[in-house]
Amino acid sequence: MARERLAFINFPVVLRLIGWLLIIEAGLMLLPLVTALIYQDTSIEGFTWSMSITLGVGAALAFGIKPKNHELMTREAILLTASVWVIFSLFGAIPFVLSLPGFPIVDACFEAISGFTSTGATIFPDVESLPHGILIWRALMQWVGGLGIILFTLAVIPMLNQRGGIHLFQAEMSGISCSRLRPRISQTAKGLWMTYIILTIILGVLLYAGPMNLFDTICQTLSTISTGGFSTKNTSIGYWNSTYVNWVIVVFMFLGSLNFHLLYRAGHGDFKSLFTNDIFKCYLIIVAVCTVIIGTHLFVEGTYDNAHDLILYPLFQIISGMTSTGFQIASFESWGSLSVVLIIILMFFGACEGSTASGARIDRFLVLMKNTKNEFYRIMHPNSITTVRVNGRPVPNEAVNKIIAFLAIFVMILAVCTLILTLCGYSFIDSVFASVSSLSNIGYGAGITSGSFQPLADVAKITLMFAMIVGRLQLFTVLVIFTKYFWVK
Amino acid sequence: MKIIIAGAGEVGSHLAKLLSKENQDVILIDSSEQKLANFDSYNLMTYVGSPISFKTFKHVDIADADLFIAVTPFETQNITACSIAHHLGASHTVARIDNYEYLKDQGREFFSSIGVDELIYPELLAAEEMRTALKRAWVRNWFELYNGELIVIGVKVRDNARLTGMHLKDLASMSAHFHISAIKRNHETIIPRGDDYIKSNDILYFSTTKDYVDNIRELCGKQELEVKRVLMMGGSRIAIQLAKICGDEFKFKIIEVNRDKCIELAEKLPDANIVNGDGRDVELLTVEGIQDYDAFIALTDSSEANILGCLTAKERGVPKTIAEVETIQFINVAENLNIGTIINKKLLSSSKIFQLLLDSDTSNAKCLALADAEVAELVVKPNSKVTRGAVKDLKLTRDMTIAGLIRDGKGMPVNGNTQIQVGDHVVIFCLNGAIHKVEKLFN
Repeated sequence: MARERLAFINFPVVLRLIGWLLIIEAGLMLLPLVTALIYQDTSIEGFTWSMSITLGVGAALAFGIKPKNHELMTREAILLTASVWVIFSLFGAIPFVLSLPGFPIVDACFEAISGFTSTGATIFPDVESLPHGILIWRALMQWVGGLGIILFTLAVIPMLNQRGGIHLFQAEMSGISCSRLRPRISQTAKGLWMTYIILTIILGVLLYAGPMNLFDTICQTLSTISTGGFSTKNTSIGYWNSTYVNWVIVVFMFLGSLNFHLLYRAGHGDFKSLFTNDIFKCYLIIVAVCTVIIGTHLFVEGTYDNAHDLILYPLFQIISGMTSTGFQIASFESWGSLSVVLIIILMFFGACEGSTASGARIDRFLVLMKNTKNEFYRIMHPNSITTVRVNGRPVPNEAVNKIIAFLAIFVMILAVCTLILTLCGYSFIDSVFASVSSLSNIGYGAGITSGSFQPLADVAKITLMFAMIVGRLQLFTVLVIFTKYFWVK
Repeated sequence: MKIIIAGAGEVGSHLAKLLSKENQDVILIDSSEQKLANFDSYNLMTYVGSPISFKTFKHVDIADADLFIAVTPFETQNITACSIAHHLGASHTVARIDNYEYLKDQGREFFSSIGVDELIYPELLAAEEMRTALKRAWVRNWFELYNGELIVIGVKVRDNARLTGMHLKDLASMSAHFHISAIKRNHETIIPRGDDYIKSNDILYFSTTKDYVDNIRELCGKQELEVKRVLMMGGSRIAIQLAKICGDEFKFKIIEVNRDKCIELAEKLPDANIVNGDGRDVELLTVEGIQDYDAFIALTDSSEANILGCLTAKERGVPKTIAEVETIQFINVAENLNIGTIINKKLLSSSKIFQLLLDSDTSNAKCLALADAEVAELVVKPNSKVTRGAVKDLKLTRDMTIAGLIRDGKGMPVNGNTQIQVGDHVVIFCLNGAIHKVEKLFN
């Protein structure tokens, strides 16, 4: 057998870019630091130190390393993308450790990863007692992570506006297709970010017009549009008990979970491509059908008696689950197991491709369903040639295979996570729930995790952290690093 | 600049990659999704759709396009596409055509009236390039800049050349009339300095004026060779074009495998001899008297066959060989073999389009693409860095050199003591990627 040789990976380039990214993260920490200074809370020192450490390490990497060649190929892009999400989270965890005396490192990392992956599963049973700086940092992490750390940097670092940047874009947006809005990658990134920022501003204004104060508005806005789900209140959005707030948040969670390419086009007057989009239609139908099912169920059970509540509450929880936000306005656990199971299934598939939401995505669900239909057809007509069509265009067979492989791997990871959690001694349904919640980046808790994820053992937390990152990067980008093909020529 | 390219064929793909590397906003349109899939890892946008449909044009926002290039395989489609694009607001349109007639004044007038601003005809460009190569048989590349006031020639030197083994600084005494701007050695292009010396088998790029060309020929140990009889292998469209534009300058014999094509050739080209057979068949070549020919041109569809054909011809004693090499990866290899001139339609058309592009851009640089170097022509603006001292004091980086300049309509080569003045047209050689540094010097 021929000896296998290790593939060449340009580590200096990767490290230098990580340096640049850390400098950006240090810049992001400015917002919580300013907030802490305004409110004069206990996190001032924590953020000052975190910022200095992050900036120091970032600058050392960015300016200390002089790569001989600047080529950034697929391997480097995958490695960079996967490691950036981990490294960002590690540095993002520093403020928690420094600001909250005696806070365990694993918990801090969990919170940061949950933040950047816009999961929203929290460690803190009592968020209201946290300093303002920490609260806004949690929201900001979600906002940046929502659309993607790499996408953010593509928009701001001109250095990446070339082929290397494309590889990064593909590694992070490794979905079914990574279509582009504009010719240059940085323009695409800017277009997506502008859409995101505009939505954020509109939501901010709308929420501020309601019963929220400025600080809560900012935090809630950042974690709603990113479909993250960190709240500043223990009872989540339920705290305000305001129909206005609930409806506004439902609408914006929904918008955040749509394909940003379509939103961008709609923003430029092209509503047709949004409304004729198969995935959008499928998404609407699923939401409507599930709302009706749960609403009817609640009506029969007599949980709510007026029509408005029967629509709003199920709709809120369904959208919050599907869009991977994880806000709560009511305890859906008390709605009975039908609702819980239905919401688990919805959480599994999540929302649309190219949005801030994660999960297996409706796009894949649609292809799976159409493919299944074809398979049945082929049993009766064995010689027929069939294609799966989405939006009138045939999906190539390789893409269908990849989607099915994705779903299979997704389920396997889910099974492994569940297994590890049950080994830690949690009940089956709780384990499944926490696993789906993490892998799809939802952040809902049920059973043992209903208040917060703190009671879990460290092993369970680490498993879930891994699931969150794998889920956020849509499996392949992270998992390929653990294969032989990545390292061997 | 926003550039929309219709047709992801050979020319289209090459241009798209090139322009995207030059930081232009490129959108590539083709009706085949598969063809476009190759561009996933390039910094450009692709759109699947017909290049002559209004829907496509609307989708890519043709109205703000600065340049629209139609290079699909079909002439009529290209013309229609340009016409539509122009009427929808594209500022400048270029169509690839197959008909020599269209390039005449009457055709040009008509096409600009329907919105096709420029016509490019790759086969004709290739034919013209070959005609130059046949006329100057001792030269590998011949470029005329600024209406022929300055000439850039590429010559391969061998042991018999007087230049071989000399240091460039020793040449300085005799080199007032030319400037060695680049040396291609093995796979590498070097911008030479005084302490570099010339090796056998180097390809030297001289910048000079018309009067000193013969001087250079002698220095390189080359003989003037008058080409009369030309043997062509492969009766492609380029072959037909070449035979047509050359008229009776040369006597052509064309060897073509396909019998039907031979008949077609015989009908189209009454003055040429047509032979049905395989151009790589040594016996056939001997029968056709290859040793009596002055030049051999290989123009089949296969780059490999062309390279091998030329090598065979060289072995049989044909002094000048020209090969069409369409596979870009082979060009470097082919240049190191003993092939006189290499022709590539894609590179020729794209450098033509590049010129159009730069003409409409303000920077006013014209580029010629050599293998991995570029030649830029720039006008010196007031207060630019290059006017601050003699060339030797400018501290140019190692990847560029000032080759020559045109002052008051007169071309002259540049040496270390030349002082560049405002308003000069300056010709610069630089390695790939250094063009931006060059632009900084001039602004």
